[in-house]
Amino acid sequence: MEEKYIICEDSLEGIFTAIYDAYALREGHEHLHVQVGETDNYRLFATYLHSRPDSGKTEKVVRTLKERLGEHVYGSICRAASSDGADKGDAVYHTVVDGITGGHGERTMDNLRNPYVARAFALARRTANEVHHELEFIRFQELKQGVLYSRIGPENNVMPFVMPHFADRLSPEDFMIHDENRGLFGVHPARGEWYLVSGVEQGTAGLQEAIQYSDQEMEYQELFTIFHKTIAIRERHNRRLQQQMLPLRFQDYMVEFLQK
Amino acid sequence: MEVKIAPQMSLMDKLKILADAAKYDVSCSSSGSSRKNDGTGIGNTVAAGLCHSFGADGRCISLLKILFTNECIYDCRYCINRRSNDVPRASFTPDEVCNLTMEFYRRNYIEGLFLSSGILYSPDYTMELICEAVHKLRTVHRFQGYIHVKAIPGADPLLIQRAGYLADRMSVNLEMATAEGLREMAPNKHRKTILKPMRQIQNGIEENKNELTLYKHAPHFCEAGQSTQMVVGALPESDYQVMSVAESLYEKFSLKRVYYSAFVNVNEDKQLPAITAGPPLLREHRLYQADWLLRFYGFKVDELLTKERPNFNMAIDPKADWAVRHLEVFPVEINRADYRLLLRVPGIGVKSARRIITARRFGSLTFDDLKKMGVVLKRALYFITCSGRMMYPTKLDETYIVQNLTYQNQMGKGERLPFLMDGTPYRQMSLFDEGQMLDDTGNFVNVCSSKTTGDSRITDNSVITRDSRITDNSVITGDSRITGNSVITGDSRITGNSMITGDSKTEGVLYTA
Ligand code: SF4
Repeated sequence: MEEKYIICEDSLEGIFTAIYDAYALREGHEHLHVQVGETDNYRLFATYLHSRPDSGKTEKVVRTLKERLGEHVYGSICRAASSDGADKGDAVYHTVVDGITGGHGERTMDNLRNPYVARAFALARRTANEVHHELEFIRFQELKQGVLYSRIGPENNVMPFVMPHFADRLSPEDFMIHDENRGLFGVHPARGEWYLVSGVEQGTAGLQEAIQYSDQEMEYQELFTIFHKTIAIRERHNRRLQQQMLPLRFQDYMVEFLQK
Repeated sequence: MEVKIAPQMSLMDKLKILADAAKYDVSCSSSGSSRKNDGTGIGNTVAAGLCHSFGADGRCISLLKILFTNECIYDCRYCINRRSNDVPRASFTPDEVCNLTMEFYRRNYIEGLFLSSGILYSPDYTMELICEAVHKLRTVHRFQGYIHVKAIPGADPLLIQRAGYLADRMSVNLEMATAEGLREMAPNKHRKTILKPMRQIQNGIEENKNELTLYKHAPHFCEAGQSTQMVVGALPESDYQVMSVAESLYEKFSLKRVYYSAFVNVNEDKQLPAITAGPPLLREHRLYQADWLLRFYGFKVDELLTKERPNFNMAIDPKADWAVRHLEVFPVEINRADYRLLLRVPGIGVKSARRIITARRFGSLTFDDLKKMGVVLKRALYFITCSGRMMYPTKLDETYIVQNLTYQNQMGKGERLPFLMDGTPYRQMSLFDEGQMLDDTGNFVNVCSSKTTGDSRITDNSVITRDSRITDNSVITGDSRITGNSVITGDSRITGNSMITGDSKTEGVLYTA
């Protein structure tokens, strides 16, 4: 039988809508695939369908996933769908199929013998690892107005997972996290609900220049840089190890590695 | 009484001195507490802890680790701050400690505060200062992040109790594995005075648990438990002694963590081992590995070491070492073995063992499946079968397996020895995929064609060949063979039926048979 590809937007909503559309075809899942974003190499004997993100369909899929597979599996699926894996659409879709058809419920992600599940599991882990790193390595800088501002450049879309952590931890603070790779902002007004702002790439060109730090900011950056340097034991120096634990792509955003 | 503070000293200078003085305390963990923000100030805690940076030594930086003061009335021989040293002294004020913590925390530099101190005037006086700073941080600044404070041995139990209600974790350092060792190294400290606050904190935690089941809103007492640390390599204590002490601390004092600190001779004390070649990091690493086996893998110290075999094998890790000495247990059938047995297989960690147990309910597992679950097959393959078959035809033979495992080490493909440890191996996670923590670039040292320096111990049937250099206080025991152009120098001791052949040079070596 002919392979069919459902092409969808690269977002949770896009992928969940595509899963809804795939089920709606009622043709069995074996020859159906979900593809995130346009592909460069179209296959000759395959059909391509396009799916538009739809909040109603998304809601239904989310509800079904939570009911049939549980919150935990739902979380893994969201993380896999937020990863940078090019094949994540298909991995997530067929994981859902395996979990629901097989009635695996909360144990869906345990069926690592299924290659799609194994892949979704690996992708979810990739996102989770980067989320964990960002919780640790994000550096806020205090602006003139008292707002805490942070730039990040993650490989996976970590923002939806990072924001709740800081919203709780820094609840009395105004803060903003800026994902430079996606033109995405996570915004938290003091004691308020956080939200995401996307699609503002055009407006951010002059952002770096426009930023003005508070009077104290440089002093604390310097203090921490000194602390960071002092706390290392000379007899145990091991730069390679440091880089393994803290990859350079994070160091580019961290104050203690910027000052010399 | 007046505190001797140089009034003109800048915050920057104080931080330099008091962070420098605190850096030898290994613990930097911020795990064990899980607390949401209550809306009155900043901060929360995460059960697994978070590392916010890594220093030039590769150790995790999680907490603002500082001494309140490095003034000290005691004279511990291993300590840079001892009374008899002429080093710059400084003291923070409680406000300075609070401001640094708050401003670092807001910027996500740190997970909280680790406050220790030299003994200023008296243990009571010092403990009171610590309490004051932490109390201010919790009440005036409403700080809800992680706080670890030292309990100063000899301080009034009431002060220690007060600190316990403010801190997430407390620690009292045991310092040395043996009471005699402590007497020798820290003439002002006594094993008894150290164990007393340790017991008090243990009881406090216990009582608090009962309180909390009765009254949900009772204040927490050291929610993240207590820890301690021992210096290793300053005295000739054996790994067996060190691990036995650790085991009893876990069992009898309910400690959360025991940390091991490779001795650094900061005072260049002539009577203590010189560590020109660096601290005994490989030994320290083996101790952490063994500690991990005690806490998560169901091992007992007596399974790993004995009076006759008192030190760890430097060539292979303690778990592999146990496995090759217990080949009667292997091979283990992956599709049937229980969790405890799976954990005994080299190359299978806590996480992968759990994954195996859950995944095999869906059907029999193959070697390919195991790989996906994070099992390190090149280590495990000697010890397991999948549906009755081994991965390759291999011999269940001790020498053969050891050779292969150490050969992997030589090729940089086997065990990775990261030498990091802020006490928390690798990262602050309580469970890990064995052998998967680092990329293929881990620093490793092995006994073949290597330089073994510092206070290394080479024990039991080690084979040292070709151009190896062994220096400084190394202890070589057992039926070791040393061949090729090896150079052995320093105060090394070579015992047992060791053979040294080839053009090996030995200088200043003490032989005992
Ligand atoms: S009590 Fe001993 S270890 Fe502690 S600061 Fe004083 S001299 Fe150093």
